[in-house]
Amino acid sequence: MKTNHLSAWEQEEYVLDQRTPQMLRHLADCAECRAAVAQLEHGVVVFRNAAVEWSAECLAARPRQLQFASMRRLSTPAMRWALAAVVPLVLLMLLALLPVHFSRPAHPASDITDDALLEQVDEQVSVAVPSSMESLTHLVSAESSSGAAASGSKHIAQTN
Amino acid sequence: MEALEPLIYAGELSPVRDRMIAELEDINTLCATYRSRIYRYALLSLRDADLAESVTQDCFLKAHRARGEFRGDCSVATWLTRIATNLIRDSTRSRKFQFWKTATSTAVDAGAMADRLRSPGLSPETHLQVRQELVKVWDTVATLSGKQRSVFLLRFVEEMELPEIATAMGLHVGTVKSHLHRALAAVRKAMERKK
Repeated sequence: MKTNHLSAWEQEEYVLDQRTPQMLRHLADCAECRAAVAQLEHGVVVFRNAAVEWSAECLAARPRQLQFASMRRLSTPAMRWALAAVVPLVLLMLLALLPVHFSRPAHPASDITDDALLEQVDEQVSVAVPSSMESLTHLVSAESSSGAAASGSKHIAQTN
Repeated sequence: MEALEPLIYAGELSPVRDRMIAELEDINTLCATYRSRIYRYALLSLRDADLAESVTQDCFLKAHRARGEFRGDCSVATWLTRIATNLIRDSTRSRKFQFWKTATSTAVDAGAMADRLRSPGLSPETHLQVRQELVKVWDTVATLSGKQRSVFLLRFVEEMELPEIATAMGLHVGTVKSHLHRALAAVRKAMERKK
């Protein structure tokens, strides 16, 4: 009974192309190990061939939309950057225009002065005695008291 | 890792890196060159044609957007494979809740896969044997862990070398080899068990 067969690890190493001269020598002599390694290799090769074929079949069935999708998706960040650049500009323009808008009211300043003038005129009209005749209101009338008359005559005497 | 930086940007490597970046610049050419490869990897990992297509698109978009980060320390194919590996992992995680829903609709089972098997020139008996072998391997690969499955697919379907796989997976070569051995052991046991 042969006890120096390739171990499972060595068989796997062989499939992984990590082959040593001892392995090759043993495989040349041992049909059992050769069959075991060949079976493992065959399983891997069958899997590979089927996988490649299946993948190619799936890919062929798909439309070549990758380019279009990529361009569409590539444009999204570009659009975001463009928006990010445009929005602050628009806001700045609005901010620049708003003070001008508010500094130019619908009614000019002359309207305010007109109102002030009208108020002034109203005040003057509403006064009972015109300002030019206002000094006359301080004169003492004949019907006033004697004390007041005396003081008035005294005032006249002092001025003379 | 520190020692790698000067090598990457060394004068003699910059033309190679520039050529690779130029390759990444044109997304249409990039897709035409690598689409089938990335799609196959995604399809066999996810076993869902729609998801695989989505992952493939995302992979190329990510690669195109991140082309400035490409350092040129591996091939474009390996870099794309790395991006695809991350996307596949994320996709697998996110669709865990919907797995059983999609399993019955768009996912492919071993029988459907074996039905596609073409074996011209083989006798019916041999064809049946090959079909059974395929079903065994297909089912076994489905039961592997995510990393084992990715490593298995990259080695035996994409025929990548171990260092390339290590770069694409972000693993050490020894870890890759360990995953490969476990995957192969599972395949071997499955083939022996159901003789």
